[in-house]
Amino acid sequence: MPAPLGAPADGLAAASALRALADRLEDAEVERAMREGWTWSQVAEALGVTRQAVHKKHLRRLLAARIDLRRRDV
Amino acid sequence: MFRFHLSVERLAPLFVPKETALVVVRQFVVEAKQDAAKAVEAEHMLLTLATNEAGDACRLLNESGLTYKQLLAALHEERRRTLAFAGVEPLDETEATELDRPLTLGTSAKVALKRAMVASREQPPRRPHIRSTGLLVGILQAELGTVPRTLAIAGVDRGALIARAANEMSKATC
Repeated sequence: MPAPLGAPADGLAAASALRALADRLEDAEVERAMREGWTWSQVAEALGVTRQAVHKKHLRRLLAARIDLRRRDV
Repeated sequence: MFRFHLSVERLAPLFVPKETALVVVRQFVVEAKQDAAKAVEAEHMLLTLATNEAGDACRLLNESGLTYKQLLAALHEERRRTLAFAGVEPLDETEATELDRPLTLGTSAKVALKRAMVASREQPPRRPHIRSTGLLVGILQAELGTVPRTLAIAGVDRGALIARAANEMSKATC
């Protein structure tokens, strides 16, 4: 059995940790952008994904954060 | 293998003693949320065992030099070292609003539970339920991943701790 520390275990662990970190960063920055008045389309364009994808992934959390999303349909 | 979203009501019956089972399982979620994780993983279960001072697993961890605080510090060091491999620092101050929804059970947690159930049946008195020492064995049997990396960083002999936990399991009367 390979050792849990050292290459390639460190690299594989880093890949997994980076995915989790990227998810946390995206959640926080989408929330910040929407608080600052960005539209769904602007956030989607900045992330390089579709507006529908951003909406589907983040709507519930943004509502929980009590961000006013009215007139934010573009 | 479990295929459901984590629900404390569904996991608690796996554990004994029954009086503390619900508290233990709810603590899994508390630890995962404090870690800003989207799923309960084996390291959150290990932290839970370290908080449960009434359990034999907590005593074994403490005797091996792993109090809750030491374990938490070792986990943070593991994350720091892991991200440093890619030239990245942890993001401590970037937090999104937390959604009030049940967390899922991560793969490492599912595997730990499965191993704990197997170990509980293999050790006398061969009960189908999981005691804290059984869960500890299940968690520690992972040879790769966050928990063994953390233990290696903390300088804990994982094999010796498994042997001690298995020995405690065989003494259990419940």
